[in-house]
Amino acid sequence: MSSSTGSLRRYLITRLLLVLPMVLILLTLVFMLMRVAPGNPILAALGGHLSPAQLAARERAAGYDRPLIVQYGAYLRQVFTGNLGTTLTDQRPVTQIIAQNGAATLELTVAAMFIALVVGIPLGMLAGRMRDTWVDASARLFGIVIYAAPVFFLGLLAQLLFGHILNWLPTSSESSVIIQANLTPHTNIPIIDAMIDGQWGDLPDLFAHLVLPAMTLGLVISGVVLRLVRVNVIQTMKGDYVEAARARGLKERTVVVRHAFRNALVPIITVTGLQAALLLSGAVLTEETFNWPGIGNQLIYYLEARDYIAVQGIITVFALAVVAISLVIDLLNAWIDPRVRY
Amino acid sequence: MATTWEVVATEGIPDEPRAPDTGRTRGIHHAIAPLLAARGLPRWIFWTGAAITLLFVVLAVFAPQIAPYGFNQYAANGLRFPQQAAPSAAHWMGTTVVSEDVFSRVVFGARTSIEVVLLALAFSVIIGVPLGLVSGYFGGWLDRALVLFNDSIFAFPYLLLAIVIAFLLQNSVGGGVMTAAIAITVVYIPQYFRVVRNSVLSVREESYVEAGRALGARPRTVIRRYVFANVIQSVPVVASLNAADAILTLAGLSFLGIGMDPSVAAEWGYDISRGISDAQAGFWWTGLFPGIAVIMLVTGLTLVGEGLNDSYNPLLRRPNHRSYAMPGGQREATTAETAANPVIRVRDLRVWYATDRGPVRAVDGVSFEIGERETLGLVGESGCGKSTLGRGLLGLLPTGASRDGVVEFAGRNLVTASPAEMRKLRGPGIGLVFQEPMTRLDPLMRISDHFAEALRTHQPDITDAEVRRLSLEALGGVGIPPTRFRNYPYEFSGGMRQRIMIALALVFRPRFIVADEPTTALDVLVEAQILSIIADLKRNFDASLLLITHNLGIVAESCDRVAVMYAGRLVEQGTVEEIFNRPEHPYTQELLRSTISLSTRELHFIPGAPPDLVEPPTGCRFHPRCPWAMRVCADDAPIGTEVRPGHLAECWLHGPFENLTPAGRVPLEREEIGIADEA
Repeated sequence: MSSSTGSLRRYLITRLLLVLPMVLILLTLVFMLMRVAPGNPILAALGGHLSPAQLAARERAAGYDRPLIVQYGAYLRQVFTGNLGTTLTDQRPVTQIIAQNGAATLELTVAAMFIALVVGIPLGMLAGRMRDTWVDASARLFGIVIYAAPVFFLGLLAQLLFGHILNWLPTSSESSVIIQANLTPHTNIPIIDAMIDGQWGDLPDLFAHLVLPAMTLGLVISGVVLRLVRVNVIQTMKGDYVEAARARGLKERTVVVRHAFRNALVPIITVTGLQAALLLSGAVLTEETFNWPGIGNQLIYYLEARDYIAVQGIITVFALAVVAISLVIDLLNAWIDPRVRY
Repeated sequence: MATTWEVVATEGIPDEPRAPDTGRTRGIHHAIAPLLAARGLPRWIFWTGAAITLLFVVLAVFAPQIAPYGFNQYAANGLRFPQQAAPSAAHWMGTTVVSEDVFSRVVFGARTSIEVVLLALAFSVIIGVPLGLVSGYFGGWLDRALVLFNDSIFAFPYLLLAIVIAFLLQNSVGGGVMTAAIAITVVYIPQYFRVVRNSVLSVREESYVEAGRALGARPRTVIRRYVFANVIQSVPVVASLNAADAILTLAGLSFLGIGMDPSVAAEWGYDISRGISDAQAGFWWTGLFPGIAVIMLVTGLTLVGEGLNDSYNPLLRRPNHRSYAMPGGQREATTAETAANPVIRVRDLRVWYATDRGPVRAVDGVSFEIGERETLGLVGESGCGKSTLGRGLLGLLPTGASRDGVVEFAGRNLVTASPAEMRKLRGPGIGLVFQEPMTRLDPLMRISDHFAEALRTHQPDITDAEVRRLSLEALGGVGIPPTRFRNYPYEFSGGMRQRIMIALALVFRPRFIVADEPTTALDVLVEAQILSIIADLKRNFDASLLLITHNLGIVAESCDRVAVMYAGRLVEQGTVEEIFNRPEHPYTQELLRSTISLSTRELHFIPGAPPDLVEPPTGCRFHPRCPWAMRVCADDAPIGTEVRPGHLAECWLHGPFENLTPAGRVPLEREEIGIADEA
């Protein structure tokens, strides 16, 4: 109906406008964190390597002798023009890091989220539907224990079992070296690059490398999804419209699937959005565990090098990613639940 | 992993602050009461979690006594421990690449974790709770700014935030327990802030705070008490779940080598990170045991939080699902032919719910009939079993409810009918219209989909055109125009939604409809419209109707006959004219006197409260409140008697007189009334 699309458009515009303050706050937060600390980036990264005079020259060149507010303005201007600076230690533009390694993180998180939903939603529905039975108890226990496991410990177990004992799957990096060398980077996501060039023979190797990291991260998040779906199903099963649907003689399957489950899934979309933070945090740890060449991996590398510019740039990108994910989730929600845009 | 508990906890925080109580000690008592009262799974969950947590606290406190060696000790008595030795009697969990004893490292790791978590919790409570109080209490721009700031921190990946802070602190003041604790604190402050702020806000808007203000109480005093009671309930849930998260965050930081200086203390995450490289070489034990320790402690803390949440959250509290056989002997049913051609005939129907105190006899031996195109009004006080009776006819009872007796409809007994048979009857055979229309339509489905779904269930071969024609006809009958057919429920008002619900029942042209207080939730004008629609039912749709209501005016207007329900029994039934003009049961008489009309001069109410349905009064259930009670009424259940043709009453005043002895007729003494009343 025209009125519905009209309200959707209005909702869209309002929601897009709300992005600006959120971006601004997160950027400010990043800036404050990185600059409130004593010392300055040049000193931290290069102190000891250069003479005091060279250091001072580098500081002036980078503008660290200016007042904080001016630096803040410069930082914002940079971010909005798509310039995240150049690393201090190896003179690499941060945007290049994002382009090259961001793709790997994207691949990992999407695959992990897929596994989390595929495992978590059915288990949560089953547990909620069969509340207080042994099925429910085991599903809940699984949810709690899997969530209690640090993702890197699950990774360790997976490496031990599938990598070393069974020797089924590779435990490190994104692809085998030979295959990596054969790929032309289009998107920097090897699986997609291989498909673009029709190198189908490479896919088994690429997927094999993806399985363990994605399963590890996905299982941890599936615990969260499971618990949320379960609680929601328990509540929607008690819902008035569910009773009313029964009173119309609908089949129990229809009542449960179409009315209880569908309504139970609406908040899941929002919550999945909230899990973006969990997902990205988990990705950093997973990348480190499996030597996955994502931005989390790069972040740790530059943290060890005390490269403030690289760290600040990467953190800025994470902040922007969070805003973008929450935006996408909200729009998705408005599309599914007609009440939101009203 | 900051976000997990979030939804659990926001749902877990009791919506309503506890009942108005006074003083702080009672606040604390209130806080732990649900926990002590919790039974079954929540109790088990909580105590298991508490036991595991306690184990680790003991390990942490007595680490030097329990651990055989120091956390970074690699030699004893001048002898270096073996390198990377598998678990043995000398080293239960083996040794590391630098000859440290893994067991000792696990024990000291517990100490580090508990220290960091306690510090982080203390910091976040000390900072987060006052911030939340200030924000919620003063509101305005301060509140808005704080909320925005907190939300932004909350949205940010918690681990990255902790990483950056730990990294910066480590570069300026060095790594250690304090650095790790501060890094973790920053992540959790927003959660306490949010919980406390929301509880202050909700309390501010509570009606009893308004009421207290109207009575002259200082709002601050009131708010202080309720916020305290509320916070003391929600903070433990948040704190235990946060502690679990904090352990994971700490392990994550140490795994990445940030925050904790490994030379200062043992840390599980750090050990696991080294365990990963060991694992590649086949040394599985160096990472396995610290990992198990993390899982155990985090699971323990999560169980504590979940147990608390389960006990406090009314939404998650479990119903008792035990089913009981109905105790007590059968009571004779009051039977008489009241309808010429009954559409539905109910004989001695009983419905009971299982509770912790025993079965609640919501419907206890009820018999009636409804004829073709007849409307039977079912009246009675709240809690007398009216709604249960209505739902019992359709077999729509919650888990834990049971029923017996006979409900004859369309040539079969619905009580013994299979679930599949019952399902096919619901809709085409018997329709049900509910009390509150606002929540009865699936919010995600268009009105058209509701109709299509229902029609297709019962007539799988129906065409789209036919669905549309039947639906629009039913909707037209209740005054909903075809232009609204594809709208969503949220686009309709309560009165319109009730019309849609009625149309959804009528679209099948059922022979019998149960309307359970269909107008109670609506305003008077809408009520009149809905009633006129209902009155048209028998004319336009040939339907018989059971109209459940507590409004005698509606009965007088819309019904042919009335059944009066008291404590699970039908105490009187007859035509509207008979019952209104010549009520025979004392309860009906009292009920009619309690109604308000234009000629009402003063309010009449029936003394005493409706009886407890778990242990109903002996004899006649109304006897403790009955002005005419006789001795027999307290001893023997009255037997239904046909006072006049078609007019039944269950009261000893109307016989059967051959069952009455002169001693039984002596009026019941007042004291007994008083005692029974209190029971």
